[in-house]
Amino acid sequence: MRNRKNIAVKILAVLAFLVFLIINSRSISNPFRTGISGAASLPLKGLNGAMRAVKKIIPFASLREENRLLRERIDLLNRRIEESGTLSAENRRLKDILGFKNAIPFSSIPAEVIGRDPSNWSNSLIINKGSAHGINDNRAVISMKGLVGRTLEVGRTSSKILLITDPNSKAGVIIQRNRQGGILVGRPDGSCKMIYIALDSDVAPGDRVITAGFGSVFPKGILIGEVAAVGKEPGRLYKYAIVRPAQDMTKLEEVLCIR
Amino acid sequence: MHTIGRLQIYFILALALLLQVTVLRHIAIFGVRPDLLVMLAVFFGLFLGPGRGLETGIVAGALADLFALDFFGIHIFIFGLTGLLAGILGTKFSRDSARTRCLLVAVLTAFSMALHFFIASIFSGWIGLSFGGYFLGSVFPVCIYTALISIPIFFKLIEIYGLRGSEEYL
Repeated sequence: MRNRKNIAVKILAVLAFLVFLIINSRSISNPFRTGISGAASLPLKGLNGAMRAVKKIIPFASLREENRLLRERIDLLNRRIEESGTLSAENRRLKDILGFKNAIPFSSIPAEVIGRDPSNWSNSLIINKGSAHGINDNRAVISMKGLVGRTLEVGRTSSKILLITDPNSKAGVIIQRNRQGGILVGRPDGSCKMIYIALDSDVAPGDRVITAGFGSVFPKGILIGEVAAVGKEPGRLYKYAIVRPAQDMTKLEEVLCIR
Repeated sequence: MHTIGRLQIYFILALALLLQVTVLRHIAIFGVRPDLLVMLAVFFGLFLGPGRGLETGIVAGALADLFALDFFGIHIFIFGLTGLLAGILGTKFSRDSARTRCLLVAVLTAFSMALHFFIASIFSGWIGLSFGGYFLGSVFPVCIYTALISIPIFFKLIEIYGLRGSEEYL
């Protein structure tokens, strides 16, 4: 009985310590986390590279299986076609990002996504560039399709990006058609919500949402996505809109960090 | 009486974390990924008891906190509590039944995600999603996916360690 009481007291002490940790989290976590994620960037890059290699090998393996009944020559040709297809797709993607990098009016640094948030609550990415490559804290990150998020916790060789779909993300935005302003917040389900829209504004599904450029983080006019639904929360004096981001965050492989 | 070394558990957790941040997005269905860390905290809680469940959860949470952009300590708290709860439930339900284990994983995954929602609501002040919307859009698919993927993983871990539900493991 006494033993059980002791265990319960210990457990309560641990839980109380954890509550204290969460309350003081910002001051404790940043330098610690940045160091750890910097050290872990090498295995992450390795695993990411291995995964890409596996993705390239899998079609070949299935082709070999499929072509077992075919003549050797056809097998070889098929494999070469497949190989050139993969290479040209990769080439096209890299050319696109290079062309986009040259087309945008901001100076930017291309980076590769090497990791993602381990939890299903937050939405963040780990990229393979850090302060050594010129990345700074609180800078906008974009893709070819639109705004992705902003840099947070920049390490020497890797950085974390808070996606616009993260519940902690907030950005000033406007509707492109009628310049109606609002605040965009992320949601755990991967969409965004634009709040503080005036009740008399005519926001409709399909309207494009762009950055307002109010703060110092996001430059003005970057596409975010389209309005999927509009509604009004009971008891509030403004409307809201559910915004579907133009960029599918689950499929991101390369991003551009604005300097 | 079997023993499972701490280092082995920590190694499994570190491996799960690496998979979670890199490879797991390739098996995401409609953007939903299973939660390996919660699943492992539940597994070790079920078979090793409340104390080790809490410890495993705390280590899993610490690893998650290092790579997440959330309040530091939130995963330690949630996963620790989930491991502890799994340990308590492990003494009340049959650990030999795959169906029971699967159900416990689903329930405890839902518990950890719901707890995250409420803690984040307190610290962030406001979240742009109702709990109902969050439950249907995120919690439900994640707990189903995690529960399903736990079936083969639990079988493998039980086989590797030769675990039996009726025995005590330290």
